[in-house]
Amino acid sequence: MTIAVTKRAETNPSTKGQDARGTDYAALLRAAQGGNQAAMERLLMKTQEIAYRFSLLVCGHADDADDAMQEALLKTYRHAAQIKEPAAFRTWLYRTVKNACLISRRRRVDEPARLHSLDEVSMAPDGSLQRIDVEDQGRRPDQVMENSRLRQSLHRALQTLSPDSRLIVFLREVEGLSTRDVAAVVGISEANVKTRLHRARLSLRQHLEAP
Amino acid sequence: MTTPASDRCRSLLEQLSKDIDDELTPAERRSLTAHLRRCPCCQTMADSLKHTVDACRKAGTARLPADVRLRARARIATLLASGPAARPRT
Repeated sequence: MTIAVTKRAETNPSTKGQDARGTDYAALLRAAQGGNQAAMERLLMKTQEIAYRFSLLVCGHADDADDAMQEALLKTYRHAAQIKEPAAFRTWLYRTVKNACLISRRRRVDEPARLHSLDEVSMAPDGSLQRIDVEDQGRRPDQVMENSRLRQSLHRALQTLSPDSRLIVFLREVEGLSTRDVAAVVGISEANVKTRLHRARLSLRQHLEAP
Repeated sequence: MTTPASDRCRSLLEQLSKDIDDELTPAERRSLTAHLRRCPCCQTMADSLKHTVDACRKAGTARLPADVRLRARARIATLLASGPAARPRT
């Protein structure tokens, strides 16, 4: 028996360039550049969503998320109108988010590093950390528990990878970029992305299966 | 934890990743499928690898927590109220 994996956009030419939620970034950018305010708002929300996930899953610092979201938001707003090739926007966006998160981390470099689970925290307006609510509404309690356990395990497993491998897994598996786009964001060859991704998958599998 | 035992099994590990990415040729897929039917160890490995990848992919579809989303919306409103972004270069 085989298990179907959640379909990746890259395998379907009609959805190439879209994320796991079906967002077409190039179309969104063109609409925003054409003066469509709703498109600009959606683009800016997408930017912040990516920065949030990046902060938690790649950097492992929930307390950086708000700073990273703000930084990524400003950069996208200032530069989105100047991007001439909408098809290249998605890789630009991920490079921007990566840099924004690194900038936020450097600002806090003197603060103690703490790791938090996706299920454990978000930052309240007063700066305190609080438990976040996840999208489990409408699910049975046992499904919620299972999803929560899986997310915590995944978060822990990701933190065992090297920063580069974690970034590759994040871009390819979590965000759904093509191997070509991952290579462009990370700055390595596609072959290298595939090799590292394969090793990272095996490592993650081991950690997720560990009792 | 299940780990493929034979050299043949180990050589198929990379093909499991390629299968997940839909990068196998039809002949490679037939060969892999035939091996998985005969080898419970590799079938278990394939299933758990796919579960792992699926867990990552599902993490990308989770929405922002409500409080984070509210702050994100407030930032956008403040920014858009502050004036237009630069126009496209010509």
